[in-house]
Amino acid sequence: MSSMRFAISMLSIVGIASIIGTVLKQNQSYESYIIKFGQFWFEFFEILNLYNVYQASWFLLILLFLVSSTSLCVYRNSPRIVKEFKHFQDNVKEKSLKSYKYSFEIPFSDFKKKDLIKLLNQHQFKTKEKLINNGDELIVAKKGDYQKLGYIFTHLAIIIISVGGLMDGNLIFKFQESIGSKQIEFLDKPISEISKKSWLDTSNFSFRANMLLVEGESQGVGVIPVKDGYMIQDLPFTVSLKDFNIEHYSSGQPKSFESDLMIKSKNNGEVIQKKISVNKPLYYDGVTIYQSDFQDGGSKLNLALYDMYGNSKPIPMRAEIFKHNELIVDNQKMNFEFEDFRLFNILDVQLDGEMKPKNVGPNYRYKIRNDSGQAREYETYQYPLFLDERYFFMSGMRNTPQEEFKFLRIPADADRTLDGFMIFKDLMINSKQVNLAIKSISEENTAELSENKNEVTKSFLAIWQSFITGGYNSIASNIDQNVPLQNQEQVANTYIKIIYLIGDKIISNYRENNPDFTKFNFDNEGVFTQDALNAYSDSFFYGSNFWVELKDFEQVQASGLQLTKSPGQFWVYLGSIMLVIGIFCMLYIQEIRLWIMKKSDSKNLILAFASNRDQIDFEKFVYKTKEEIKDFYSK
Amino acid sequence: MKVNFYNYIFTALLSLLGIVALTNFHIYMDKYEVGILIAAVVGFSYLGMKWNRFKHFFLASFALAFLSIYLYQGDISQANSNFILKYFLSSQSSIMWMSALFPLGLIIYWFYMFVKQEFYGNFASFLIWAAATFATSGLLVRWFESYLISIDIGHIPISNLYEVFVLFCLISALIYLYYEEKLNTKKLGSFVMIIINVAVAFLLWYTFTRGADEIQPLVPALQSYWMKIHVPANFIGYGAFAIAAMVSVAYLLADSKFWQKYIPAKEILDDMTYKLIAIGFIFFTIATILGAVWAAEAWGGYWSWDPKETWALIVWLNYAAWLHLRLIKGLRGNILAWWSIAGLVITTFCFLGVNLFLSGLHSYGEL
Repeated sequence: MSSMRFAISMLSIVGIASIIGTVLKQNQSYESYIIKFGQFWFEFFEILNLYNVYQASWFLLILLFLVSSTSLCVYRNSPRIVKEFKHFQDNVKEKSLKSYKYSFEIPFSDFKKKDLIKLLNQHQFKTKEKLINNGDELIVAKKGDYQKLGYIFTHLAIIIISVGGLMDGNLIFKFQESIGSKQIEFLDKPISEISKKSWLDTSNFSFRANMLLVEGESQGVGVIPVKDGYMIQDLPFTVSLKDFNIEHYSSGQPKSFESDLMIKSKNNGEVIQKKISVNKPLYYDGVTIYQSDFQDGGSKLNLALYDMYGNSKPIPMRAEIFKHNELIVDNQKMNFEFEDFRLFNILDVQLDGEMKPKNVGPNYRYKIRNDSGQAREYETYQYPLFLDERYFFMSGMRNTPQEEFKFLRIPADADRTLDGFMIFKDLMINSKQVNLAIKSISEENTAELSENKNEVTKSFLAIWQSFITGGYNSIASNIDQNVPLQNQEQVANTYIKIIYLIGDKIISNYRENNPDFTKFNFDNEGVFTQDALNAYSDSFFYGSNFWVELKDFEQVQASGLQLTKSPGQFWVYLGSIMLVIGIFCMLYIQEIRLWIMKKSDSKNLILAFASNRDQIDFEKFVYKTKEEIKDFYSK
Repeated sequence: MKVNFYNYIFTALLSLLGIVALTNFHIYMDKYEVGILIAAVVGFSYLGMKWNRFKHFFLASFALAFLSIYLYQGDISQANSNFILKYFLSSQSSIMWMSALFPLGLIIYWFYMFVKQEFYGNFASFLIWAAATFATSGLLVRWFESYLISIDIGHIPISNLYEVFVLFCLISALIYLYYEEKLNTKKLGSFVMIIINVAVAFLLWYTFTRGADEIQPLVPALQSYWMKIHVPANFIGYGAFAIAAMVSVAYLLADSKFWQKYIPAKEILDDMTYKLIAIGFIFFTIATILGAVWAAEAWGGYWSWDPKETWALIVWLNYAAWLHLRLIKGLRGNILAWWSIAGLVITTFCFLGVNLFLSGLHSYGEL
């Protein structure tokens, strides 16, 4: 098990598993995995624990193998290394020295042993002298022993880091879960109803829990997400959020967010108060409290619902984020579920001819669920956005969370309000106004249409009727059924022109009758008309009859905190320091040995150099040192 | 003796710079940033003492940067109205000059390799030094510009993909120039500059199609002194690995008769690859550890198996295995060269691929 091959194959598996973990997004909801992979593969991957690879038993088991393999390796090799660290290889023969790759003979007359040793010491060599029988003398010199210690350091470091990491892993919980003493909670419940089996008490020595705290509220437990569910972590203190602040850059991006916290110890009632922010956590009673994110904490919204196809006053509605609202219109029940309110939204918008990030103001998300339980999700912006040189109110809709939002764009009127469009769509279904408009169109064009004026009026009306019941789509399907293929395009263009003419006439009639009304006063009124008609036509794909307008709001924020207890951290850091020292020793200290032998019957000294790494630098060193020793004797 | 004197002046100048910075700006710095500043003065002085050309380069970069800062007169709009700023010394122009000099350097290196006249080799090296000077000055000025835009937006320009690409080009060029001088391997410029020019090409594409050169404010998680050490340490690692891979390409080509005439001996290439991977490995290790310490402070855990972290681990394991086989098992030859090229693929994925294809906590440089 201590073999390198074993270690490398284990490391490869860890590497591959880690890659899978980065490609397959970890810890998502199981629902989203099912949608992505289908039932069969979802189950297959689940068995392999691929949704949280890094906590999978097999992954931890391999890590454990690696740690033991490395430990064994260190255990086996350390005694030898330590021995070599102290040891001078003084048991060498002349013959073996001469067989070294870097072996030289240097003429000398006076050995000058003391000075030679001094010279060697100056070059950071440690030396040992040995008298061999018959007057031969040997000096063994060595330097760079720490290279070998580097080996022990690095490997020990890896063991220490892994052990630290395992201490902060969830091995104990996994064990408790497997024997049934702990159980993951999968349902969304109030904390008081959660079974004790899903609680981890304050003695739990390592955890990473989340806490969502609404302004003004306090909490004494954290939530640990596990697989598709969660566990409740009891804390030795309660945390209260006194205040939550976000600062923004002038462009609107968040600059900083900070929570003003009050911590009250459950043991002795001690109270402390501290502000925390990103990168500036609070350490208390062995737990570190981090600012991680923020979200809505139940903002109160004041809304108005416009029926796109009904000529009625907007219906007022009050809503609160995370609360359900029921609305009954025409005996039809609608369930509104408001999910999020964001005061700042940074989008790339056209600014001075360039796309730049800018705060476009609040938006709100909600679902409308019908009686059969199906829900569509909406995202609506309070203020109009500047697109293609004009302002639009935007609301996105999607049928499933996997889809992108498809946006309905309603043109803002000259005062940048919704009123213009809402008046227009009321007029569109007002038969009196429509008839008036068609009549005046046909009168204005008497010359061309005189022959069958009545018939023309009738067909105009039919086209308009088709449009207001289903938009351009309904016109298109009419044409598909009734017009031969080769004429379809031409007819469609004519119909579109007619619809535009009628729409435009409706607006200009309204302006004439209401001279004080300025919201239709555009430089180019036709653009508004066309946009409004397009919006009306698109509304048939919106999935709801209602446009939900935000009148005003009262924001309530919640701060997302993270609470961690991480006893392994110390060991991981210690190991890391050892690792760096170890790597440095291994890579940058060159272990070199040098033997100098004086034979009593020879005029030459025998020099031999050896290193465990045969590199260019070593060779350079050898020749330089040899020359120096030569100089030493030629002086 | 002359060189020695220059060393003293250099160190004195750097210390003076440090003291001026400290006295003027210490109210904006926390104690760690003061520490980093002092360490930078000491570190660069040391590097300057060891490496003569570094001193020229450093002084030239700072001279350009200070000239640019002077020309700004505290007004960011000067970037478009002052002639010198607009065409030479605003950060964007400097970086464009860098982007022009690197390709030029590559061409001259190739010319030199075949013509073998020392003049062209020296000229190519000079161009790369000039490119590095513009890169440094560009980054320094960008740092200053960010404060001109708004004092709260100001930050060191190593916070997004655009900025770190410039950093990558700069650091890789310096690492290469160091070894070129120490090991006398000018002919390798023609290989090493390829990878730097690929980065330049990406940088230009990124600038012109995405307007990436715009200075953006820092998200809260990046507002920490850790960024100033974590990112540069990482890029010394990336840069060294990238150059090692290019040297390995040359190593493999050295087997062919044709190329043999134009590239240094295999032993030198082998030695250089080892040295690059060794220095890269040690810095990459330090960077990853610093990253973990920072993560513990910002995200609440030293290791979150975030894609970037995980890929950093894979890169680390890869080069750990490479060094292991070479040092402990004494493995040499083409296998290690191929391996080091494969290492660049893994490193590139860690550096860029993670941002392109995977999402996670490190999503600062999304494309």
